[in-house]
Amino acid sequence: MHPTLLWLALILYALGILLTLPSVIRRRAALSPTSLAALGLGLVSHAAALAAAGAQIHRLPVTDVRSALSFFAFLATVAFFFVYLRYRITALGVFMLPLVFVLTLISAVRPVRPFADPAFRGGWLLVHIASIFLGYTALLLTFVAAVMYLIQERELKSKKPRAFYYRLPSLEVCDELHYRSLMLGLPCLSLGILTGFVWASRAWQGPWELDPKILASLVTWLIYLVLFSTRLSGTWRGRRAAYVAVVGFAAMMVTFLGASFLSGQHGYFPEFGKLP
Amino acid sequence: MGLRKAKPGLAVPRVLHKTMNLVLAGINHRTAPVEVRERMHIHETHLSSAVSALIQRAGILEGLILSTCNRFEAVVSAPEHIEAEPVVRQFLADFHHCDLSAYDQYFYWHRQEEAVRHLFRVAASLDSMILGEPQILGQVKQAYAVARQAGALHGPLDEVVNQALAVARKVRRETALGTAAVSVSYAAVELAKKIFGSLHGKTIFVIGAGKMSELAAKHLLQSGASAIFVSNRTYERAQELAQAFHGTAIRFEQLFDYLAKADIVISSTGAPHFVVRKEQAERMLAARRNRPIFFVDIAVPRDIDPAVNELDNTFVYDIDDLGQVVEANKKQRAREAVWAEEIVQEEVQKTMRRLAARDVAPTIVALEERLNRIRQSELERHRARLGNLTSEQREAVEALLRGIVNKILHGPITELKSGAGRPEHGALVQLIRRMFGVGD
Repeated sequence: MHPTLLWLALILYALGILLTLPSVIRRRAALSPTSLAALGLGLVSHAAALAAAGAQIHRLPVTDVRSALSFFAFLATVAFFFVYLRYRITALGVFMLPLVFVLTLISAVRPVRPFADPAFRGGWLLVHIASIFLGYTALLLTFVAAVMYLIQERELKSKKPRAFYYRLPSLEVCDELHYRSLMLGLPCLSLGILTGFVWASRAWQGPWELDPKILASLVTWLIYLVLFSTRLSGTWRGRRAAYVAVVGFAAMMVTFLGASFLSGQHGYFPEFGKLP
Repeated sequence: MGLRKAKPGLAVPRVLHKTMNLVLAGINHRTAPVEVRERMHIHETHLSSAVSALIQRAGILEGLILSTCNRFEAVVSAPEHIEAEPVVRQFLADFHHCDLSAYDQYFYWHRQEEAVRHLFRVAASLDSMILGEPQILGQVKQAYAVARQAGALHGPLDEVVNQALAVARKVRRETALGTAAVSVSYAAVELAKKIFGSLHGKTIFVIGAGKMSELAAKHLLQSGASAIFVSNRTYERAQELAQAFHGTAIRFEQLFDYLAKADIVISSTGAPHFVVRKEQAERMLAARRNRPIFFVDIAVPRDIDPAVNELDNTFVYDIDDLGQVVEANKKQRAREAVWAEEIVQEEVQKTMRRLAARDVAPTIVALEERLNRIRQSELERHRARLGNLTSEQREAVEALLRGIVNKILHGPITELKSGAGRPEHGALVQLIRRMFGVGD
């Protein structure tokens, strides 16, 4: 990962975030062009940093924690732009961008640990990684939509409009965002897990099925499956669905980060955690 | 001194007046009670002739009259040395056939920059009874159109009023001044939008056909709601209202057969008990697969059991709740008004600078003309005493005279050009003109 480019991206993100604050505080209908420009430039710089890292190891730069966090933050920023340009939710930045900033920051300060195990090659692996990350990004949006929904719903139920009431989108928009991102996220996650299984069955020996990360990802997948089916049938709408989305996101974070520390083969720290 | 009088109906060219002298006289809902406002009101059918009469007064170049139920404003522009105030007072006294001294206590008078600021604030609805109300802009536009047609706007006042309209639009764009609802029925619409996003395709159900529910339904339909059902104890009344809104009337006995279709329920029956109870709301939700329902309960005593609000995906607002929303929104508007005032202040400065700059070029030209005339006439006067001069000597004399004139002019011209941004510039321009005897 090219350190200068990543730090540049970080500074531009910070600048962009600060510039969005006046628009949110003053209840403007749109974010200022300067803030969007700063964030856009940050995104470009980030992309360059990732491209440089990818070129260095000749594969998608997701093979260590630092790169994975950075890649996720990058995808999250892309998702932010997509959603903002479609729905014009001014407060969206407040919910998504600080997370992006923190992830990029962690990524920038972690030491570089290239992980070029020759075992980590192959077409299935690429599809696996790409679809998992896409799924994570989409489900991040589901989480953000759920949080916005919960806050707005509470304000509407309490019947006392407070700060958020004026700045959050309608329940319907939150719901639509929740639903659409789930429609993208769950299939991607499913594809990712499936291709992961295919690849692992060829590349690994032993009871890799019991690896903590893989178990955690299955739990996450199940939670989102439940969310999806209750959504379709209408049994859980609105607030309950939002709670489940929050739980699902927590499971996702555990899978992404936590299990990495515990996992043997699938982790980023193969020296910790041994398979039974 | 020739005074220009614009005649109505004639296309008057855009004249660059040399300096601006604006006077505004007005009353509003804060300074005058309704009887006084009534007295001063000029109906729109008489507005054109009123403006024409105003600008025909000696000393008045341009004029505009704004007359609404909450305010009356008359603003004129005049040449710099004219005292426009008495002329305007006399016009008002004559037009309304009254003794204006009886009304002096109600009038406010603004001049120059204050007049500009007042106009900007009025157009931006910062002076209105309800901050951010949308009607005033249309009213100002109307007054502008009438004055323009009467040939009463062709100089600085025209520019100022145009700017006022532009500032009003800017305030509307850059602040949320006019957005949050400050009436109960609009608050209901706003809440519905917060729940449902767009109201297109949404169904309204009116239980109890009364004035308030009619108003709320009307606003909701205007905001995009598509279908409406009406139910009332007396079926005929329900039919009346349903017909007015191109909706469907439902017999009261069959209420719950159709109520589940509603996304928004407006209830205002006179019933002493609850019309919709928690169990009934639960059944509605089940029938709708938990799609949200918004209950607007404007009845006293209440029609919707407050326990319904405990259910997921229902939102029950009674008349007090709506009132609370309106109060919160009013506070919000007051906060937005602070930003709006800043915008107005900025725009006033810009406009004053722009108008001042227009004064400078003609003044410089007039100055040069005057001094050059003096130079030439003095030379002519003393030609006899100079006797016969060689061409060289004549040139020398003329160069001498030109040199003096230029050096004298240098000071004032530099001041005129450099001072254009400063607030005292207008006074400076007038002073220089007076000092050098440069009139209109």
